[in-house]
Amino acid sequence: MTQGDRVALDNCIKCSICVSHCPVARVTDKFAGPKQNGPDLERFRLEEPAAVHPSIGYCSNCKTCDVVCPSGVSISVMNCKAKGEYVSLHGAPLRDKLLCRVEMMGKMSRLAPSLVNVLGGIKPLRILGEMVMGVSSKMTLPQYAPKTFLQLYKPQSLANCKGKVLYYPGCYVNYNNPEVGLALVKVLNHHNIEVMVDQFECCGLPIIANGFLDVAKGHAERNIQKLKKYAAEGYQIITTCPSCNLTLGRDYHELFDLDTSEYSVMDAFEYLDQLLEQGELKTDFCNVSLKLGYHQPCHLKAAGSGVPSLAILQRIPGLQVQDLDAGCCGLSGSYGFKKEKYPISQEIGQNITRAVQEMAVDQVITECGMCQLQIFHLTHQEVIHPIQILARAYKL
Amino acid sequence: MMKKNTDVLIIGAGLSGLMAAAKAADSGKKVLLVAKGMGALGLSSGCIDLWGYSLDHPEEICQDPVQEIIKMVAAQKDHPYAKVWDVLEESLSFFQQICSQNGLAYEVAEKGNWLLPTALGTVRPTYLAPAGMAARELPRAKNILVMGFQGLKDFYPEVLTTNLKNNMNLPADCQLTTLMLDLGKIELSPNNLAYLLEKDEVLQRLVSQIKPHLAEEMVILMPPVLGERGHTKVLLNLVESLGVQVYEVTNIPPSLPGQRLQQALLHHLKKQSVEIILGCTVIGTTVLGEHCTEVLAEGSGKNLTIAAKSIILATGSFLGGGMEAQPGKVIETVFHLPIKVLDEKWSAKEFLSLEGHPFSKFGIEVNNHLQPVNSQGEVVIKNIRVIGANLAGANYPIEKCGNGVALATGYKAGKLVGEV
Repeated sequence: MTQGDRVALDNCIKCSICVSHCPVARVTDKFAGPKQNGPDLERFRLEEPAAVHPSIGYCSNCKTCDVVCPSGVSISVMNCKAKGEYVSLHGAPLRDKLLCRVEMMGKMSRLAPSLVNVLGGIKPLRILGEMVMGVSSKMTLPQYAPKTFLQLYKPQSLANCKGKVLYYPGCYVNYNNPEVGLALVKVLNHHNIEVMVDQFECCGLPIIANGFLDVAKGHAERNIQKLKKYAAEGYQIITTCPSCNLTLGRDYHELFDLDTSEYSVMDAFEYLDQLLEQGELKTDFCNVSLKLGYHQPCHLKAAGSGVPSLAILQRIPGLQVQDLDAGCCGLSGSYGFKKEKYPISQEIGQNITRAVQEMAVDQVITECGMCQLQIFHLTHQEVIHPIQILARAYKL
Repeated sequence: MMKKNTDVLIIGAGLSGLMAAAKAADSGKKVLLVAKGMGALGLSSGCIDLWGYSLDHPEEICQDPVQEIIKMVAAQKDHPYAKVWDVLEESLSFFQQICSQNGLAYEVAEKGNWLLPTALGTVRPTYLAPAGMAARELPRAKNILVMGFQGLKDFYPEVLTTNLKNNMNLPADCQLTTLMLDLGKIELSPNNLAYLLEKDEVLQRLVSQIKPHLAEEMVILMPPVLGERGHTKVLLNLVESLGVQVYEVTNIPPSLPGQRLQQALLHHLKKQSVEIILGCTVIGTTVLGEHCTEVLAEGSGKNLTIAAKSIILATGSFLGGGMEAQPGKVIETVFHLPIKVLDEKWSAKEFLSLEGHPFSKFGIEVNNHLQPVNSQGEVVIKNIRVIGANLAGANYPIEKCGNGVALATGYKAGKLVGEV
């Protein structure tokens, strides 16, 4: 154990605030909680790596523990590394190896996206998938778009270019939900801001969350090279996915000790907020008469940016946005697709169902694609990204 | 670097910070609250203590804490209450109002302090109690049944009953009995249990285990686990099914009543469009003349500058990280404001001394507008207000005034910045 490890562990004063806010420990006793799996067991793991406990597999990597810890302990880093250690010692089921490769699945679906969507809706096939692979037959599968975002994206030549951004769409926007990326491009072009896109790899978050740290580190190294190049050329890097944002901006450094100091990543609305601060955000909004419920994704909370869309959406006439304040949605990427974790994920999500019912909102908005999917699964209502509302307000 | 602009910046998410945010937002200000983590309010009892014991007879519980505070501030001009006694009652009604709007009712006793049982069977003097703890019938109860749960640590019914007989003035013929409830769990955390009890079928299992033990004019005492949120629904269902009064008692953290209060206040702030960033530590400040123009905050591996017209410091004392002790000196961690440190010994020889420890009184001195002052009484930074455990002069563990001071100073600071 190094002096640094010792200090990090001693910062934990055992106040249990992380346990009382852990969405998983709240609904199941299969997860011993962030404190016990994190700083408590870390003492043993640092001496003997094989001391890693199987209960770590139930951590959903929502990172709530980091956010609420008043002593600055990086609990989720300890837990991610422990999960990696467990997988390297004991292996992982084939299902986890496949589920975490969202980019590979996206590429494969390109052969025939609509056929994949149809197959995913056939109940007997899903039941077979649950029996053979352990993928829950009940969870709604993400739909693949007929064309990817990168295929649909058309660069605009702007007469009076006021700034340039590199947009990292992430797998979900690229393969499943290109409308989000297209809405962003429209909004930025409306402000005479040039949008650059490129072929990036998956940020690696699903791979990290399933414990394949070495694989994810490869993604990180290759992505960092490209991100550095664009930052050096004066591009501000932005994402619309809070999990990609967190992984590129924080996890690469915290988990793999890679140098990320040469670039910075912003949420799209953080970027727009800067325009607002500088008085450069256009205010030619039309009336949008809607009462929306806003769900703050856990990874946006963890990114420490507050609610970046709040200040801008408040300026749209007619629009009412209320924070659902219902905590984690429970899906946590591939977590809620796993047979044994699906019930946990649904139990966690009940707070969202209740909040949507109680507040009687017209529609729910949230930044994270996976949260969108879970809230759709729970409430059967279409869920969209705040940038789509903004594009609508600009009549784009 | 990211920049944010706000009317009011609040640093700290404890009771004082949340109250200040609520009142400032109520005055129509744009409010941003940043904190290193979730504040310690979730670790508290959930009760609002104003003043516990008599000034003249420190071993006696005081009857009327508001009168006692008025008497005390006449003599102790440097006590935080001396700066806020003018808004004390108004702050309490504001607190009760926003809590009840968010599903959490707080009650006052018939006269002065409540005397409520703790999990250890001691008696706690407190001013405002959550409705589910406000055990009015207890002093007249003929039968008291104390229930625990198999697998739930930190709550042992026998400890409570044995000590309560000695500590509380119960009728001579009062029968105290205990019962362990079994949900078939080997280990239960308070949060997991509270979540389970929100389910009707689990609650009905409890009811069937309790029913054979009911008696005439019985009062049931339980650990504070009856529901996750405002808890009224679970408690009322239980009372209705059993036909007797049921109350929660205060317990050591992590316990639900403090968490419910924290949730209700945070929920209120979100409804008021207050932006909240946790995991965010203020690491630098820009002070020009007598004004702090902006602060630098760090969180999640990146920096953020926040410009604010008014700043409210609610970072707490030593435990909250608002103050740090070093050999021979104490520093306030954000602005390095002057700290009043008593010259004599910092701690008492006896750990559980009835006079408390001098270090509890260390903190920042303020004027009546809660602006920080130096030893000459001059304002150090004009647009800062200091509240809660950051303030000098209170001996919280002995006086039982922590939440009262937090609530009243937070309210006053929020009101003052609302007028700026």
